[in-house]
Amino acid sequence: MLGAATKRKAVGENQGTMSDSPAVSATSTGPVTAAGRPAKTIETRGVNLFYGDFQAVEDVTMTVEPNRVTALIGSSGCGKTTFLRSLNRMHELTPGASVKGEIKLDGEDVYAPGVDPVAVRRLIGMVFQQPNPFPTMSIYDNVAAGLNLNTKKVTKTQKDAVVERSLRGAHLWDEVKDRLDRPGGGLSGGQQQRLCIARAIAVEPEVLLMDEPCSALDPVATLAIEDLIGELKGRYTIVIVTHNMQQAARASDLTAFFNIESTGRPGHLVEVGPTEEIFTKPGQQETEDYVSGRFG
Amino acid sequence: MPEVARAEYLEELANLEASALGGLDLVSAALTRTLEAVEFQDVEMAQLVVADDDRIDGRYLEVHQALITLLATQSPVATDLRLISSLLHVLKNVERMGDQCVNVCKLIPISGNEPPADEEMVGLILSMGRHTKSLIAQAKRAFEERDVEMAQDLVRQDDVVDNLNRDCFRLALELGDDADKREWAMTMLLAARAIERTADNAVDIGEQVAFVVTGLFREFEDASHPEG
Repeated sequence: MLGAATKRKAVGENQGTMSDSPAVSATSTGPVTAAGRPAKTIETRGVNLFYGDFQAVEDVTMTVEPNRVTALIGSSGCGKTTFLRSLNRMHELTPGASVKGEIKLDGEDVYAPGVDPVAVRRLIGMVFQQPNPFPTMSIYDNVAAGLNLNTKKVTKTQKDAVVERSLRGAHLWDEVKDRLDRPGGGLSGGQQQRLCIARAIAVEPEVLLMDEPCSALDPVATLAIEDLIGELKGRYTIVIVTHNMQQAARASDLTAFFNIESTGRPGHLVEVGPTEEIFTKPGQQETEDYVSGRFG
Repeated sequence: MPEVARAEYLEELANLEASALGGLDLVSAALTRTLEAVEFQDVEMAQLVVADDDRIDGRYLEVHQALITLLATQSPVATDLRLISSLLHVLKNVERMGDQCVNVCKLIPISGNEPPADEEMVGLILSMGRHTKSLIAQAKRAFEERDVEMAQDLVRQDDVVDNLNRDCFRLALELGDDADKREWAMTMLLAARAIERTADNAVDIGEQVAFVVTGLFREFEDASHPEG
Protein backbone atom coordinates (compact mmCIF):
# COMPACT_ATOMS: atom_id res chain seq x y z
CA MET A 1 0.00 0.00 0.00
CA LEU A 2 3.01 2.24 -0.01
CA GLY A 3 2.37 5.20 -2.28
CA ALA A 4 -1.33 4.40 -2.71
CA ALA A 5 -2.89 7.36 -4.54
CA THR A 6 -5.39 9.54 -2.73
CA LYS A 7 -7.03 10.90 -5.90
CA ARG A 8 -10.45 12.41 -5.49
CA LYS A 9 -13.11 10.10 -6.94
CA ALA A 10 -16.69 10.92 -7.86
CA VAL A 11 -19.11 8.02 -7.57
CA GLY A 12 -18.69 5.73 -10.56
CA GLU A 13 -15.17 6.70 -11.48
CA ASN A 14 -13.60 3.98 -9.36
CA GLN A 15 -15.92 1.17 -10.41
CA GLY A 16 -14.23 -1.83 -11.91
CA THR A 17 -10.67 -0.69 -11.29
CA MET A 18 -9.87 -3.32 -8.68
CA SER A 19 -8.38 -6.62 -9.81
CA ASP A 20 -9.52 -9.95 -8.41
CA SER A 21 -6.17 -10.74 -6.79
CA PRO A 22 -5.37 -9.32 -3.35
CA ALA A 23 -4.14 -5.74 -3.54
CA VAL A 24 -0.95 -6.36 -1.57
CA SER A 25 0.77 -9.29 0.05
CA ALA A 26 0.93 -9.53 3.81
CA THR A 27 4.68 -9.17 3.67
CA SER A 28 4.76 -5.83 1.82
CA THR A 29 6.97 -3.14 3.34
CA GLY A 30 4.06 -0.81 3.96
CA PRO A 31 3.09 0.93 7.19
CA VAL A 32 3.15 -1.31 10.27
CA THR A 33 1.13 -1.68 13.45
CA ALA A 34 2.52 -1.89 16.95
CA ALA A 35 2.36 -5.67 16.51
CA GLY A 36 4.66 -5.40 13.48
CA ARG A 37 2.03 -6.48 10.95
CA PRO A 38 1.11 -4.30 7.98
CA ALA A 39 -1.62 -1.83 8.87
CA LYS A 40 -4.75 -2.63 6.92
CA THR A 41 -6.50 -1.10 3.99
CA ILE A 42 -10.23 -1.57 3.66
CA GLU A 43 -11.63 -1.73 0.16
CA THR A 44 -15.36 -1.72 -0.44
CA ARG A 45 -16.91 -2.48 -3.79
CA GLY A 46 -20.60 -2.05 -4.59
CA VAL A 47 -21.70 -2.22 -0.96
CA ASN A 48 -25.48 -2.15 -0.54
CA LEU A 49 -26.95 -2.36 2.97
CA PHE A 50 -30.45 -3.35 3.95
CA TYR A 51 -32.68 -3.49 6.98
CA GLY A 52 -35.09 -6.18 5.83
CA ASP A 53 -36.46 -4.89 2.52
CA PHE A 54 -35.49 -1.29 3.18
CA GLN A 55 -32.26 -0.25 1.47
CA ALA A 56 -30.30 2.09 3.70
CA VAL A 57 -27.10 2.44 1.67
CA GLU A 58 -26.52 2.15 -2.03
CA ASP A 59 -23.50 1.07 -4.01
CA VAL A 60 -20.53 2.34 -2.01
CA THR A 61 -17.12 1.82 -3.60
CA MET A 62 -14.18 3.38 -1.82
CA THR A 63 -10.82 2.66 -0.24
CA VAL A 64 -10.02 3.35 3.39
CA GLU A 65 -6.34 4.25 3.28
CA PRO A 66 -3.91 2.74 5.82
CA ASN A 67 -2.57 4.88 8.64
CA ARG A 68 -4.90 7.69 7.68
CA VAL A 69 -7.96 9.12 9.34
CA THR A 70 -10.98 8.98 7.04
CA ALA A 71 -13.99 11.03 8.09
CA LEU A 72 -17.48 10.06 6.97
CA ILE A 73 -19.72 13.13 6.85
CA GLY A 74 -23.25 13.76 5.66
CA SER A 75 -26.68 14.71 6.89
CA SER A 76 -28.74 12.62 9.29
CA GLY A 77 -30.04 9.38 7.88
CA CYS A 78 -27.63 9.28 4.94
CA GLY A 79 -26.26 5.87 5.94
CA LYS A 80 -22.79 6.75 7.14
CA THR A 81 -23.15 4.95 10.50
CA THR A 82 -24.80 1.98 8.79
CA PHE A 83 -21.88 1.87 6.37
CA LEU A 84 -19.37 2.15 9.23
CA ARG A 85 -20.97 -0.76 11.05
CA SER A 86 -20.82 -2.92 7.94
CA LEU A 87 -17.04 -2.64 7.91
CA ASN A 88 -16.65 -4.76 11.04
CA ARG A 89 -19.74 -6.92 10.68
CA MET A 90 -21.76 -5.07 13.31
CA HIS A 91 -24.52 -4.28 10.84
CA GLU A 92 -25.65 -7.92 10.74
CA LEU A 93 -26.29 -7.90 14.50
CA THR A 94 -29.53 -6.02 13.80
CA PRO A 95 -32.24 -8.62 13.10
CA GLY A 96 -33.09 -8.69 9.39
CA ALA A 97 -30.09 -6.64 8.39
CA SER A 98 -28.12 -7.74 5.33
CA VAL A 99 -25.10 -6.81 3.23
CA LYS A 100 -24.53 -7.09 -0.52
CA GLY A 101 -21.22 -6.31 -2.16
CA GLU A 102 -17.61 -6.71 -1.17
CA ILE A 103 -15.69 -5.51 1.85
CA LYS A 104 -12.04 -6.54 1.97
CA LEU A 105 -9.52 -6.02 4.73
CA ASP A 106 -6.14 -5.95 3.00
CA GLY A 107 -7.41 -8.11 0.17
CA GLU A 108 -9.34 -10.58 2.32
CA ASP A 109 -13.12 -10.64 2.18
CA VAL A 110 -14.47 -10.11 5.71
CA TYR A 111 -17.80 -11.67 4.73
CA ALA A 112 -16.32 -14.82 3.16
CA PRO A 113 -17.89 -18.05 4.34
CA GLY A 114 -15.99 -19.44 7.27
CA VAL A 115 -14.73 -16.05 8.47
CA ASP A 116 -15.39 -15.59 12.20
CA PRO A 117 -17.13 -12.24 12.76
CA VAL A 118 -15.65 -12.05 16.26
CA ALA A 119 -12.19 -12.23 14.73
CA VAL A 120 -13.16 -9.44 12.32
CA ARG A 121 -14.32 -7.27 15.21
CA ARG A 122 -11.03 -7.80 17.00
CA LEU A 123 -9.08 -6.63 13.95
CA ILE A 124 -11.52 -3.81 13.26
CA GLY A 125 -12.36 -2.30 16.64
CA MET A 126 -15.11 0.14 17.44
CA VAL A 127 -15.63 3.12 19.71
CA PHE A 128 -19.15 4.43 20.15
CA GLN A 129 -20.77 7.83 20.56
CA GLN A 130 -21.78 7.25 24.15
CA PRO A 131 -18.73 6.12 26.15
CA ASN A 132 -19.57 2.64 27.38
CA PRO A 133 -17.00 1.26 29.78
CA PHE A 134 -18.27 -1.68 31.80
CA PRO A 135 -19.41 0.44 34.75
CA THR A 136 -18.78 -1.87 37.68
CA MET A 137 -15.61 -3.47 36.31
CA SER A 138 -12.36 -1.85 37.35
CA ILE A 139 -10.39 0.31 34.94
CA TYR A 140 -7.83 -2.49 34.71
CA ASP A 141 -10.43 -5.13 33.91
CA ASN A 142 -12.11 -2.84 31.38
CA VAL A 143 -8.91 -2.59 29.38
CA ALA A 144 -8.16 -6.29 29.76
CA ALA A 145 -11.70 -7.38 28.86
CA GLY A 146 -10.86 -8.11 25.23
CA LEU A 147 -7.89 -10.25 26.19
CA ASN A 148 -10.27 -12.71 27.80
CA LEU A 149 -11.71 -13.53 24.36
CA ASN A 150 -8.31 -14.83 23.36
CA THR A 151 -8.05 -18.59 23.96
CA LYS A 152 -4.33 -18.35 24.64
CA LYS A 153 -3.55 -18.05 28.33
CA VAL A 154 -2.08 -14.69 29.27
CA THR A 155 0.10 -14.30 32.38
CA LYS A 156 -0.49 -11.53 34.89
CA THR A 157 2.76 -9.89 33.85
CA GLN A 158 1.75 -9.94 30.21
CA LYS A 159 -1.68 -8.58 31.07
CA ASP A 160 -0.17 -5.76 33.16
CA ALA A 161 2.03 -4.82 30.22
CA VAL A 162 -0.90 -4.77 27.80
CA VAL A 163 -3.04 -2.68 30.17
CA GLU A 164 -0.27 -0.13 30.65
CA ARG A 165 0.57 0.03 26.95
CA SER A 166 -3.07 0.50 26.05
CA LEU A 167 -3.75 3.15 28.68
CA ARG A 168 -0.59 5.00 27.62
CA GLY A 169 -1.67 4.69 24.01
CA ALA A 170 -4.99 6.27 24.92
CA HIS A 171 -3.31 9.10 26.87
CA LEU A 172 -4.99 7.93 30.07
CA TRP A 173 -2.23 6.16 31.99
CA ASP A 174 -0.99 9.14 34.04
CA GLU A 175 -4.50 9.97 35.17
CA VAL A 176 -5.48 6.48 36.31
CA LYS A 177 -2.27 4.58 37.08
CA ASP A 178 -2.83 4.94 40.82
CA ARG A 179 -6.43 3.76 40.73
CA LEU A 180 -6.57 0.93 38.25
CA ASP A 181 -8.79 -1.04 40.60
CA ARG A 182 -11.46 1.68 40.75
CA PRO A 183 -14.63 1.26 38.66
CA GLY A 184 -14.54 2.40 35.02
CA GLY A 185 -17.81 4.25 35.47
CA GLY A 186 -16.28 6.69 37.95
CA LEU A 187 -14.32 8.64 35.33
CA SER A 188 -15.30 11.82 33.50
CA GLY A 189 -16.87 11.57 30.03
CA GLY A 190 -13.63 12.31 28.25
CA GLN A 191 -11.73 9.83 30.42
CA GLN A 192 -14.36 7.16 29.85
CA GLN A 193 -14.04 7.58 26.11
CA ARG A 194 -10.28 7.26 26.33
CA LEU A 195 -10.81 4.13 28.45
CA CYS A 196 -12.96 2.71 25.66
CA ILE A 197 -10.19 3.52 23.18
CA ALA A 198 -7.69 1.77 25.45
CA ARG A 199 -9.99 -1.24 25.58
CA ALA A 200 -10.20 -1.29 21.79
CA ILE A 201 -6.47 -1.03 21.21
CA ALA A 202 -5.60 -3.61 23.88
CA VAL A 203 -6.44 -6.42 21.44
CA GLU A 204 -4.11 -4.94 18.81
CA PRO A 205 -6.54 -4.12 16.01
CA GLU A 206 -5.54 -2.94 12.57
CA VAL A 207 -8.41 -0.53 12.16
CA LEU A 208 -10.38 1.62 14.59
CA LEU A 209 -13.91 2.67 13.73
CA MET A 210 -15.29 5.60 15.70
CA ASP A 211 -18.95 6.54 15.57
CA GLU A 212 -19.20 10.23 16.59
CA PRO A 213 -16.75 9.63 19.44
CA CYS A 214 -16.89 13.21 20.72
CA SER A 215 -20.60 14.03 20.42
CA ALA A 216 -21.19 13.43 24.12
CA LEU A 217 -18.05 15.26 25.24
CA ASP A 218 -17.26 18.87 26.18
CA PRO A 219 -15.02 20.95 23.88
CA VAL A 220 -11.85 20.37 25.90
CA ALA A 221 -12.32 16.60 26.01
CA THR A 222 -13.18 16.70 22.29
CA LEU A 223 -9.89 18.33 21.37
CA ALA A 224 -8.03 15.86 23.59
CA ILE A 225 -9.61 12.96 21.72
CA GLU A 226 -8.78 14.61 18.37
CA ASP A 227 -5.14 14.95 19.43
CA LEU A 228 -5.19 11.30 20.42
CA ILE A 229 -6.65 10.29 17.06
CA GLY A 230 -3.86 12.21 15.33
CA GLU A 231 -1.35 10.12 17.24
CA LEU A 232 -3.16 6.80 16.91
CA LYS A 233 -3.17 6.94 13.12
CA GLY A 234 0.55 6.26 13.25
CA ARG A 235 -0.32 2.74 14.39
CA TYR A 236 -3.86 2.16 13.13
CA THR A 237 -6.16 2.96 10.26
CA ILE A 238 -9.00 5.11 11.55
CA VAL A 239 -12.50 5.79 10.25
CA ILE A 240 -14.59 8.35 12.08
CA VAL A 241 -18.23 9.27 11.55
CA THR A 242 -18.85 12.85 12.58
CA HIS A 243 -21.61 15.42 12.42
CA ASN A 244 -19.13 18.13 13.21
CA MET A 245 -17.75 19.57 9.99
CA GLN A 246 -14.98 21.45 11.72
CA GLN A 247 -13.91 18.24 13.46
CA ALA A 248 -13.75 16.44 10.12
CA ALA A 249 -11.72 19.34 8.73
CA ARG A 250 -9.35 19.40 11.74
CA ALA A 251 -8.89 15.75 12.46
CA SER A 252 -9.04 13.80 9.20
CA ASP A 253 -6.79 13.20 6.19
CA LEU A 254 -9.56 12.06 3.86
CA THR A 255 -13.23 12.91 3.88
CA ALA A 256 -16.07 10.91 2.36
CA PHE A 257 -19.36 12.75 1.87
CA PHE A 258 -22.57 10.73 1.97
CA ASN A 259 -25.93 12.12 0.96
CA ILE A 260 -29.53 11.08 0.58
CA GLU A 261 -31.78 12.35 -2.22
CA SER A 262 -34.96 12.30 -0.19
CA THR A 263 -36.46 10.47 2.76
CA GLY A 264 -36.93 6.81 1.97
CA ARG A 265 -34.16 6.74 -0.63
CA PRO A 266 -30.90 4.94 0.21
CA GLY A 267 -27.86 6.98 1.15
CA HIS A 268 -24.97 7.05 -1.30
CA LEU A 269 -21.37 8.18 -1.49
CA VAL A 270 -21.14 11.49 -3.35
CA GLU A 271 -17.44 12.16 -3.16
CA VAL A 272 -14.30 11.10 -1.31
CA GLY A 273 -10.97 12.92 -1.36
CA PRO A 274 -8.21 14.62 0.61
CA THR A 275 -9.76 16.66 3.39
CA GLU A 276 -8.02 19.88 2.40
CA GLU A 277 -9.52 19.58 -1.07
CA ILE A 278 -13.01 18.70 0.14
CA PHE A 279 -12.99 21.82 2.30
CA THR A 280 -11.30 24.25 -0.10
CA LYS A 281 -12.33 23.05 -3.55
CA PRO A 282 -14.78 20.13 -3.52
CA GLY A 283 -15.46 18.47 -6.87
CA GLN A 284 -19.22 18.12 -6.56
CA GLN A 285 -21.71 20.96 -6.08
CA GLU A 286 -23.60 18.75 -3.60
CA THR A 287 -20.49 18.50 -1.46
CA GLU A 288 -19.87 22.24 -1.75
CA ASP A 289 -23.41 22.97 -0.61
CA TYR A 290 -23.17 20.60 2.35
CA VAL A 291 -19.78 21.68 3.72
CA SER A 292 -20.72 25.36 3.27
CA GLY A 293 -23.88 24.78 5.27
CA ARG A 294 -26.19 25.61 2.39
CA PHE A 295 -28.30 22.71 3.60
CA GLY A 296 -28.20 20.55 6.68
CA MET B 1 -35.03 22.10 -3.25
CA PRO B 2 -33.96 22.67 0.34
CA GLU B 3 -34.21 26.22 1.59
CA VAL B 4 -30.88 28.08 1.64
CA ALA B 5 -29.57 28.12 5.16
CA ARG B 6 -27.32 30.80 6.70
CA ALA B 7 -29.11 33.58 4.82
CA GLU B 8 -27.78 36.33 7.07
CA TYR B 9 -24.19 35.17 6.68
CA LEU B 10 -24.53 34.94 2.91
CA GLU B 11 -26.05 38.40 2.76
CA GLU B 12 -23.17 39.78 4.83
CA LEU B 13 -20.65 38.11 2.54
CA ALA B 14 -22.36 39.56 -0.54
CA ASN B 15 -22.40 43.02 1.04
CA LEU B 16 -18.71 42.82 1.87
CA GLU B 17 -17.93 41.80 -1.70
CA ALA B 18 -19.87 44.82 -2.95
CA SER B 19 -18.02 47.08 -0.51
CA ALA B 20 -14.62 45.76 -1.50
CA LEU B 21 -15.37 46.15 -5.21
CA GLY B 22 -16.90 49.54 -4.48
CA GLY B 23 -13.40 50.53 -3.43
CA LEU B 24 -12.49 50.26 -7.10
CA ASP B 25 -15.03 52.98 -7.88
CA LEU B 26 -13.32 55.20 -5.33
CA VAL B 27 -9.98 54.46 -6.99
CA SER B 28 -11.37 55.21 -10.42
CA ALA B 29 -12.68 58.57 -9.22
CA ALA B 30 -9.33 59.36 -7.61
CA LEU B 31 -7.56 58.44 -10.84
CA THR B 32 -9.86 60.69 -12.88
CA ARG B 33 -9.02 63.64 -10.65
CA THR B 34 -5.34 62.71 -10.70
CA LEU B 35 -5.28 62.79 -14.48
CA GLU B 36 -7.00 66.15 -14.44
CA ALA B 37 -4.38 67.43 -12.03
CA VAL B 38 -1.63 66.20 -14.35
CA GLU B 39 -3.25 67.65 -17.48
CA PHE B 40 -3.68 71.12 -16.01
CA GLN B 41 -0.80 70.91 -13.53
CA ASP B 42 -3.47 71.72 -10.94
CA VAL B 43 -1.95 71.78 -7.46
CA GLU B 44 -5.27 72.24 -5.65
CA MET B 45 -6.82 69.26 -7.37
CA ALA B 46 -3.74 67.22 -6.47
CA GLN B 47 -4.12 68.15 -2.81
CA LEU B 48 -7.76 67.10 -2.89
CA VAL B 49 -6.80 63.63 -4.11
CA VAL B 50 -4.20 63.27 -1.37
CA ALA B 51 -6.67 64.27 1.33
CA ASP B 52 -9.38 62.06 -0.05
CA ASP B 53 -7.20 58.94 0.08
CA ASP B 54 -8.39 58.58 3.67
CA ARG B 55 -11.69 57.38 2.28
CA ILE B 56 -10.01 54.56 0.42
CA ASP B 57 -7.95 53.63 3.46
CA GLY B 58 -11.11 53.70 5.56
CA ARG B 59 -12.87 51.35 3.17
CA TYR B 60 -9.91 48.98 3.41
CA LEU B 61 -9.93 48.93 7.20
CA GLU B 62 -13.69 48.55 7.53
CA VAL B 63 -14.10 45.68 5.07
CA HIS B 64 -10.90 43.97 6.20
CA GLN B 65 -12.12 43.86 9.80
CA ALA B 66 -15.52 42.54 8.79
CA LEU B 67 -13.93 39.77 6.71
CA ILE B 68 -11.71 38.70 9.60
CA THR B 69 -14.80 38.58 11.79
CA LEU B 70 -16.55 36.34 9.27
CA LEU B 71 -13.54 34.01 9.27
CA ALA B 72 -13.59 33.82 13.04
CA THR B 73 -17.30 33.35 13.50
CA GLN B 74 -18.63 31.51 10.45
CA SER B 75 -15.96 28.87 9.63
CA PRO B 76 -16.24 29.47 5.89
CA VAL B 77 -14.96 26.72 3.64
CA ALA B 78 -14.68 25.96 -0.08
CA THR B 79 -15.85 28.78 -2.36
CA ASP B 80 -16.81 31.06 0.54
CA LEU B 81 -13.30 30.71 1.95
CA ARG B 82 -11.66 31.35 -1.43
CA LEU B 83 -13.87 34.37 -1.92
CA ILE B 84 -12.96 35.84 1.46
CA SER B 85 -9.27 35.18 0.82
CA SER B 86 -9.43 36.89 -2.56
CA LEU B 87 -11.39 39.86 -1.19
CA LEU B 88 -8.60 40.39 1.34
CA HIS B 89 -6.19 40.53 -1.61
CA VAL B 90 -8.47 42.81 -3.62
CA LEU B 91 -8.69 45.22 -0.69
CA LYS B 92 -4.94 45.40 -0.58
CA ASN B 93 -4.83 46.10 -4.31
CA VAL B 94 -7.44 48.85 -3.90
CA GLU B 95 -5.46 50.45 -1.11
CA ARG B 96 -2.25 50.37 -3.15
CA MET B 97 -3.98 51.85 -6.19
CA GLY B 98 -5.22 54.69 -4.05
CA ASP B 99 -1.70 55.24 -2.79
CA GLN B 100 -0.35 55.33 -6.34
CA CYS B 101 -2.77 58.15 -7.18
CA VAL B 102 -1.45 59.98 -4.14
CA ASN B 103 2.11 59.39 -5.36
CA VAL B 104 1.29 61.00 -8.70
CA CYS B 105 -0.45 63.94 -7.08
CA LYS B 106 2.44 64.59 -4.72
CA LEU B 107 4.68 65.05 -7.75
CA ILE B 108 2.64 67.92 -9.17
CA PRO B 109 3.61 70.72 -6.77
CA ILE B 110 7.24 69.61 -7.25
CA SER B 111 7.01 70.51 -10.90
CA GLY B 112 6.15 74.09 -9.92
CA ASN B 113 3.21 76.27 -10.90
CA GLU B 114 4.21 76.78 -14.48
CA PRO B 115 6.33 73.81 -15.32
CA PRO B 116 8.03 73.34 -18.67
CA ALA B 117 5.47 70.69 -19.60
CA ASP B 118 5.94 68.72 -22.76
CA GLU B 119 2.60 68.17 -24.49
CA GLU B 120 3.54 64.80 -25.90
CA MET B 121 4.65 63.49 -22.52
CA VAL B 122 1.48 64.71 -20.82
CA GLY B 123 -0.48 63.08 -23.64
CA LEU B 124 1.23 59.74 -23.02
CA ILE B 125 0.48 59.87 -19.32
CA LEU B 126 -3.15 60.76 -19.87
CA SER B 127 -3.42 57.87 -22.30
CA MET B 128 -1.91 55.53 -19.72
CA GLY B 129 -4.44 56.81 -17.25
CA ARG B 130 -7.41 56.24 -19.55
CA HIS B 131 -6.33 52.68 -20.29
CA THR B 132 -5.83 52.05 -16.59
CA LYS B 133 -9.35 53.26 -15.83
CA SER B 134 -10.63 50.83 -18.42
CA LEU B 135 -8.57 48.07 -16.77
CA ILE B 136 -10.06 48.90 -13.38
CA ALA B 137 -13.61 48.79 -14.73
CA GLN B 138 -12.95 45.47 -16.45
CA ALA B 139 -11.33 43.94 -13.37
CA LYS B 140 -14.35 44.93 -11.30
CA ARG B 141 -16.77 43.44 -13.81
CA ALA B 142 -14.74 40.25 -14.18
CA PHE B 143 -14.85 39.74 -10.43
CA GLU B 144 -18.56 40.50 -10.14
CA GLU B 145 -19.37 38.10 -12.95
CA ARG B 146 -16.71 35.51 -12.01
CA ASP B 147 -15.52 35.73 -15.63
CA VAL B 148 -12.07 34.18 -15.92
CA GLU B 149 -11.67 34.94 -19.62
CA MET B 150 -12.44 38.60 -19.06
CA ALA B 151 -9.92 38.59 -16.21
CA GLN B 152 -7.21 37.05 -18.38
CA ASP B 153 -7.85 39.69 -21.05
CA LEU B 154 -6.60 42.30 -18.58
CA VAL B 155 -3.06 41.21 -19.49
CA ARG B 156 -3.51 42.43 -23.05
CA GLN B 157 -4.67 45.83 -21.90
CA ASP B 158 -1.91 46.02 -19.32
CA ASP B 159 0.62 45.45 -22.12
CA VAL B 160 -0.63 48.67 -23.75
CA VAL B 161 0.01 50.57 -20.52
CA ASP B 162 3.45 49.01 -20.21
CA ASN B 163 4.32 50.08 -23.77
CA LEU B 164 3.14 53.62 -23.15
CA ASN B 165 5.34 53.69 -20.04
CA ARG B 166 8.32 52.70 -22.17
CA ASP B 167 7.42 55.44 -24.63
CA CYS B 168 7.48 57.94 -21.75
CA PHE B 169 10.97 56.78 -20.84
CA ARG B 170 12.23 57.16 -24.44
CA LEU B 171 10.67 60.60 -24.69
CA ALA B 172 12.25 61.72 -21.44
CA LEU B 173 15.68 60.82 -22.83
CA GLU B 174 15.03 63.01 -25.88
CA LEU B 175 13.92 66.08 -23.95
CA GLY B 176 17.24 67.79 -24.46
CA ASP B 177 19.70 69.82 -22.52
CA ASP B 178 17.35 72.13 -20.65
CA ALA B 179 17.83 71.27 -16.96
CA ASP B 180 14.35 72.38 -15.93
CA LYS B 181 12.78 70.33 -18.68
CA ARG B 182 14.82 67.30 -17.75
CA GLU B 183 13.80 67.64 -14.13
CA TRP B 184 10.16 67.89 -15.09
CA ALA B 185 10.46 64.88 -17.40
CA MET B 186 11.98 62.75 -14.65
CA THR B 187 9.17 63.74 -12.33
CA MET B 188 6.67 62.72 -14.98
CA LEU B 189 8.46 59.39 -15.37
CA LEU B 190 7.73 58.71 -11.72
CA ALA B 191 4.10 59.59 -12.35
CA ALA B 192 4.00 57.23 -15.32
CA ARG B 193 5.51 54.49 -13.20
CA ALA B 194 2.84 54.97 -10.53
CA ILE B 195 0.10 54.64 -13.15
CA GLU B 196 1.76 51.55 -14.58
CA ARG B 197 1.76 50.02 -11.09
CA THR B 198 -1.92 50.86 -10.74
CA ALA B 199 -2.63 48.90 -13.89
CA ASP B 200 -0.62 45.95 -12.54
CA ASN B 201 -2.81 45.96 -9.45
CA ALA B 202 -5.86 45.60 -11.68
CA VAL B 203 -4.28 42.52 -13.29
CA ASP B 204 -3.66 41.12 -9.80
CA ILE B 205 -7.38 41.42 -9.14
CA GLY B 206 -7.95 39.41 -12.31
CA GLU B 207 -5.73 36.64 -10.92
CA GLN B 208 -7.96 36.55 -7.84
CA VAL B 209 -11.00 36.02 -10.08
CA ALA B 210 -9.35 32.88 -11.43
CA PHE B 211 -8.59 31.75 -7.89
CA VAL B 212 -12.18 32.12 -6.71
CA VAL B 213 -13.51 30.21 -9.71
CA THR B 214 -10.89 27.51 -10.11
CA GLY B 215 -9.24 27.26 -6.70
CA LEU B 216 -5.88 27.64 -8.41
CA PHE B 217 -3.66 30.67 -8.04
CA ARG B 218 -1.45 31.41 -11.02
CA GLU B 219 0.18 34.65 -12.08
CA PHE B 220 -1.15 35.69 -15.49
CA GLU B 221 2.22 37.22 -16.24
CA ASP B 222 5.26 36.54 -14.09
CA ALA B 223 7.85 39.33 -14.18
CA SER B 224 10.57 36.86 -13.20
CA HIS B 225 9.67 34.58 -16.12
CA PRO B 226 8.90 36.99 -18.95
CA GLU B 227 9.00 34.22 -21.54
CA GLY B 228 5.73 32.99 -20.05
